Amino acid sequence: MLLWLRAALSLYLLVWAAGSVHAGVSVVIVSSERSPAYVEAAAALLVELERLGVPRTETRQQTALEFQSAGPDNPKLVVALGVQAALTVAKTAPKYPVLCALLPRTSFEFVLRETGQRSSEQFSALFFDQPLERQLELVRLALPAVKNIGVLWGPESRSKESAFKTAAAFKFSSVVQGHVADESALFAPLKKVLASADVLLALADPQVFNAQTIQNILLTSFRAQVPLVGFSPAYVRAGALLAVFSTPEQVGRQVAGLVKEVWLGGALPAVPLYPSSFNVLVNDHVARSLGLSLDAALLTARLKSAESAK
Amino acid sequence: MKTPCVKALSIRARMLLAVWLPVLLIASLLTAVFLSARMDDMDEAYYLKSQALIRQLAVSSEYGLFSANAAQLQVLAVAALQESDVISVAILDSRGNTLFAAGQSRYTQRPALGSTPSATFDATSAVDLLTQPVLASSVQLDDLLESTPPRAALKPIVLGYVLVEFSQAKLLARGREVLLLGGVVLLLGLLLASFLALKLGQGVMDPISRVGVSIQQIGQGNFSVHNPVLADDPLRDLQAVLNQTAKRLALSRDDLQQRILVATNALREKVEEAENATLSKSRFLAAASHDLRQPTHALGMFVARLAQLPHDPQTTGLIKNVEDSVLVMQDLLDGLLDISRLEANAVPVCWSTFPIETIFERLRGTFALVAQEKDLYLQVRTSVAWVTSDAALLQRVLINLVSNALKYTTTGGVVVACREVTGGLVGGLAGGQKIRLEVWDSGQGIAPEHHQAIFTEFFQIGNQERNRTQGLGLGLSIVQRALRLLGHPLALCSRLGQGSRFSFELPRAAPVLALPSPPEVVVPTREFEGRRVLLIEDDVLVLAALESLLASWGCASRGATGGRAALVCLERGWVPDLIISDYQLPQGDCGIEVVAQLRTQLGLAVPACLMSGDMNPSLIQAAKAAHLTLLHKPVRPAKLRSLVRHLLWSA
Repeated sequence: MLLWLRAALSLYLLVWAAGSVHAGVSVVIVSSERSPAYVEAAAALLVELERLGVPRTETRQQTALEFQSAGPDNPKLVVALGVQAALTVAKTAPKYPVLCALLPRTSFEFVLRETGQRSSEQFSALFFDQPLERQLELVRLALPAVKNIGVLWGPESRSKESAFKTAAAFKFSSVVQGHVADESALFAPLKKVLASADVLLALADPQVFNAQTIQNILLTSFRAQVPLVGFSPAYVRAGALLAVFSTPEQVGRQVAGLVKEVWLGGALPAVPLYPSSFNVLVNDHVARSLGLSLDAALLTARLKSAESAK
Repeated sequence: MKTPCVKALSIRARMLLAVWLPVLLIASLLTAVFLSARMDDMDEAYYLKSQALIRQLAVSSEYGLFSANAAQLQVLAVAALQESDVISVAILDSRGNTLFAAGQSRYTQRPALGSTPSATFDATSAVDLLTQPVLASSVQLDDLLESTPPRAALKPIVLGYVLVEFSQAKLLARGREVLLLGGVVLLLGLLLASFLALKLGQGVMDPISRVGVSIQQIGQGNFSVHNPVLADDPLRDLQAVLNQTAKRLALSRDDLQQRILVATNALREKVEEAENATLSKSRFLAAASHDLRQPTHALGMFVARLAQLPHDPQTTGLIKNVEDSVLVMQDLLDGLLDISRLEANAVPVCWSTFPIETIFERLRGTFALVAQEKDLYLQVRTSVAWVTSDAALLQRVLINLVSNALKYTTTGGVVVACREVTGGLVGGLAGGQKIRLEVWDSGQGIAPEHHQAIFTEFFQIGNQERNRTQGLGLGLSIVQRALRLLGHPLALCSRLGQGSRFSFELPRAAPVLALPSPPEVVVPTREFEGRRVLLIEDDVLVLAALESLLASWGCASRGATGGRAALVCLERGWVPDLIISDYQLPQGDCGIEVVAQLRTQLGLAVPACLMSGDMNPSLIQAAKAAHLTLLHKPVRPAKLRSLVRHLLWSA
């Protein structure tokens, strides 16, 4: 009797172990590639998960390619880091919940369109870009003198136009808009915007703001003595005055919280989230050139407090 | 002195070339290498500069093009135009419209504008046209937000184009300058090299030319050449050796000359000795001939007289033998004396034109009997030819030849013939023609090895024991010398066992009016009965002999030993019918004078003749001048007889 029990137990353990090896992984983290940002995010996620009580054995890391070539799995949750991972995961028509992270909103919408998925509890996202409110608030906090806010709309960011107008109306006197049809006809709308705007808020649109145009945009805005508020630290480094952003680590940590939820049996948020933690980066040289003095830490704190107050 | 100079020049030229050519080659090579490197460097610098300029311009005009800021572009373009070599600058927007242009553009057609830089070269105007697209500079945005949605590799955004024209004129000018400089340097280098070569060459050429001149002089025989040996002379040793050689050559030449002198002197002495010997021999022979002739002459006459006297048969036989011996002796003596005279060149040649037939007749007369005795035929072909020669010598020659022929023939015979030979370029039948006299015999022949030897004295083929009855062996020697004297070369054709043919040529002559030959009258022995003959002879024996002989002929002769004795003979009123006188008479009398004296004494032109042992040409001349016949001693009785007859009957 004892023998049979022991055998059954060992069998059960064996099955459980096998199961855990093969199908017992709860969380699969799929990264688009092994670039530093993804690695950072994944690492932070794992650390946070561990801290939260999800053992590392429950998790597995894969790249998008590996995920694609690997056999069918049955995890509890898949975290797709980056657009490629999200696309790959989405294309497999998963039965399990998928959380896309480290991708901007537009990209998530693109993925949804491409794969025919719908944003739901099964397929959610944690956006990488900042909410419009936060950006506008930052502008107001950093540059209180600003009355007219300028913005360049490109073919991809146009969709946000109405939302922006609504949001900006509360904080600023006017919104100066410029519509860019394509990269080559950038100068005219830019000039127009810079002519009357006090600040130029850059909203992610690859057609307008990319590696090749940013130099000239920055130069032009600088000549016009109009500060540019970017949407990533790279822009600040390139010459934008300041930007609010979330680091991959921060994103990873937030993802860990969501994963924990699911792991405990909960569900993903039905509506994609924006990052909750953020940083503000200031380019002191540009600030000095423009005759401004800004403190990044202070701004971060104020922005945090402004948000929490809301 | 042309040869050494020419030779030295070629050596000089060669030396110059030896120095100059490597310098030329090296200098040319170096110049070429470095010039080409320099040119390449200049070209590269030009291109790099032009590329750098246009790139810089493109970069600088990025913002101006982005912001369509013509003013900024203008500044840039104008600044670019200030650069050297830049002709024109044009900045175009992305659609190709010219936003700003500066300078005088030379291109007529704008090149195709693409997203890569291009360059075209117009060879006629040496202008480079460079186009550079102005691309929006890219900032590194390592951002996740950039990679969404996935885009293809970012296409570079072309903001516009920059067109710059560069002129290569200055480059080409610089290139030409460099080439010119290189050429000048090369030339200078070569000149310097030539100068050095000449200078150095001098130091080598001068010694060489000196040595060359010395050698040439030595070659010409001048051994007194002596060049000073200088310490700095590269050919010092050669020069010293040359001097030494010249000295030695001079010494050896002197030595040689000395020896030659000594040898010549010795030779001259020997020659003199030999000449003296010959002269003494000749004199000896001449003296001997004169002395020998007298007794032989007397002997002959005595024997003749003896033969006329009655004897018993035994005595007659003995006397016959003695006569024969005397004849042989006389022949031998004649032969010996003839040869000695011919040797001493003491034989006078008297040229006359006579018919050859006369000699032929005498040949027939002389040898007919001999031939008959030996049972050989003797044919002397008659000829009507006349010749110019010495009759006596010619006769002697033919007699000797025929005698030899008969002697050495056992069967067959001897033929003497006379042939015409057409020869000579002188026109006329008689003038230029020659006739050849030939003596054929069918005798034992003469072996080729003896053809030369038979003409030497005392040489006889097959007479080892020197049998004197076969003669002395002088016959052919006399023949050869006589013919040589006459100038008729002798030709011999003979084969052993088949006979011989001796022939010689003599000039033909036109017939001269023939002298009537004295009629041959047969007279009895005592034909001179009662004739008075006056004999003048200093030799007593000869005189006695003559007297005896004449007495046998019936003459009443009186003898005188000298001119005075002769005159004494005449004083008694005795008138001679004939005078026979010796030429050389005692007390310096001359026979001719004595005869003349006698003739004046008598007042009659008494026929006279002279006798002499001497064959002096002057004597013969004198006799001829005096119209006196000259007889040579020893006188044959028969000859004397005929002469006496002739003189007596012609009186």
